[in-house]
Amino acid sequence: MHHRLLLRRRGAMPLPSPPQPAPRTPGVAGGRLFASLPSPPPLQSRREVHVWYLCPDELNDHSQLDMYKELLSPSERKNALAMNGPRLQKDAMLSRALLRTTLSRYTDAKIDPRSFEFKKNKFGKPEILWQSDGSSMEWPLHFNISHTSSLIACGIAMDTLIGIDVEEKKRKTVKNILSLARRYFTPSEVDYLAKISDSDAQQKEFIKLWTLKEAYVKALGRGFSGAPFNRFSNQLETNNRIQISKAAKVCNDSDSGCDYLSENWRFALAGLNSSYYMAVCIEDNSRGSENGSVPLGLKVWKTIPFIEDTLVSGTDAVKLIT
Amino acid sequence: MAALSAVVSAKLACTAATSSLSWKGGRTTTATARRGLVSFRSPRFRVFCAAKAETVGKVMQIVQKQLALGDDVKLAPESKFTELGADSLDTVEIVMALEEEFKITVEEDNAQSITTIQEAADLIDKLAAGS
Repeated sequence: MHHRLLLRRRGAMPLPSPPQPAPRTPGVAGGRLFASLPSPPPLQSRREVHVWYLCPDELNDHSQLDMYKELLSPSERKNALAMNGPRLQKDAMLSRALLRTTLSRYTDAKIDPRSFEFKKNKFGKPEILWQSDGSSMEWPLHFNISHTSSLIACGIAMDTLIGIDVEEKKRKTVKNILSLARRYFTPSEVDYLAKISDSDAQQKEFIKLWTLKEAYVKALGRGFSGAPFNRFSNQLETNNRIQISKAAKVCNDSDSGCDYLSENWRFALAGLNSSYYMAVCIEDNSRGSENGSVPLGLKVWKTIPFIEDTLVSGTDAVKLIT
Repeated sequence: MAALSAVVSAKLACTAATSSLSWKGGRTTTATARRGLVSFRSPRFRVFCAAKAETVGKVMQIVQKQLALGDDVKLAPESKFTELGADSLDTVEIVMALEEEFKITVEEDNAQSITTIQEAADLIDKLAAGS
């Protein structure tokens, strides 16, 4: 179904009543719905990543949720309803609404959130499908989404592959940390974790490593088996750079799966709202620059789409670990 | 005589078990039905068919525990892990639990291809039979 790029609405859309007394940026009163998504500062370079996140537990107003639901394509709505139970259905719906509204912000408000279409690469990674009939402009936008039960994040980069993973710091695994690490991580990572005697600290380091590895695999877009966790090591160095390197005993054959393992990946790891670790990974093909010499620029916003956006990077809410 | 009635009752048990599994005619479930009929005459029939239903049941238990699903959540063989709320860490823990329970090793590319309870059970039976 072809979506119209411009949305015309007659009359004012009733605004959901703000849950807090603090003044909020007004949503929309007539005019185009998507025009109320303010344009963020542009992505300055390929080394900059913008992350927009929302907290599903805070979004319970039915008219707001209906507004978001309306942005989804029929197949997205169907997929959301296939989730088991109302909570998972709501999260799935919000995830797509977050993606569409976020992408729309980076098109100078020229593309309605409803209009985006998506395809999957041959490994199943979702990408934007731009109309090739010349009817719409294109932007070299790359995105990746990550969910936890209490936060959904969407990372955006320009002209480069991006992966993002968010995890609750206190996420408890059913399995023992070291046995998980032995099964899935590299020997050097297992050694690193084994040396940590405090179990809370060990669990946190495990989660940090997990998010870093997930972010890389998601950036690569080849799925879990495209970059098995035990074939590459992530390491937080003392100077806070994050290194990624091939594991010691790894593909010596001409397995094309290993060709992409390189040092051309940049990472950022941050604590978010003191409850989460967030890892972001982008490909950086700039030649001649020393790996990690210029850090990845990260900006983070908390959003209630159409209602309120808050820049949280540069505050205590985002604590860079790298 | 005893052997014949054992086979007959096994077939009935198997049919009962398979008919309680709801399905939508997917490839794997059709194969299961076909196996049930073909194996009727095989002396290995009962073990083979029972293993399928039993495997599915065990996979469901493991998934229920890993995802902390309440008893009100109805699991079906075609239930997708992602639709039950599993993220990637849940999935690797499920795979590890399956490996421990069934004494198998699941390679990454196999792990990636199991997205439902039935697919996990099929892979387990395939790997367990092969070992």
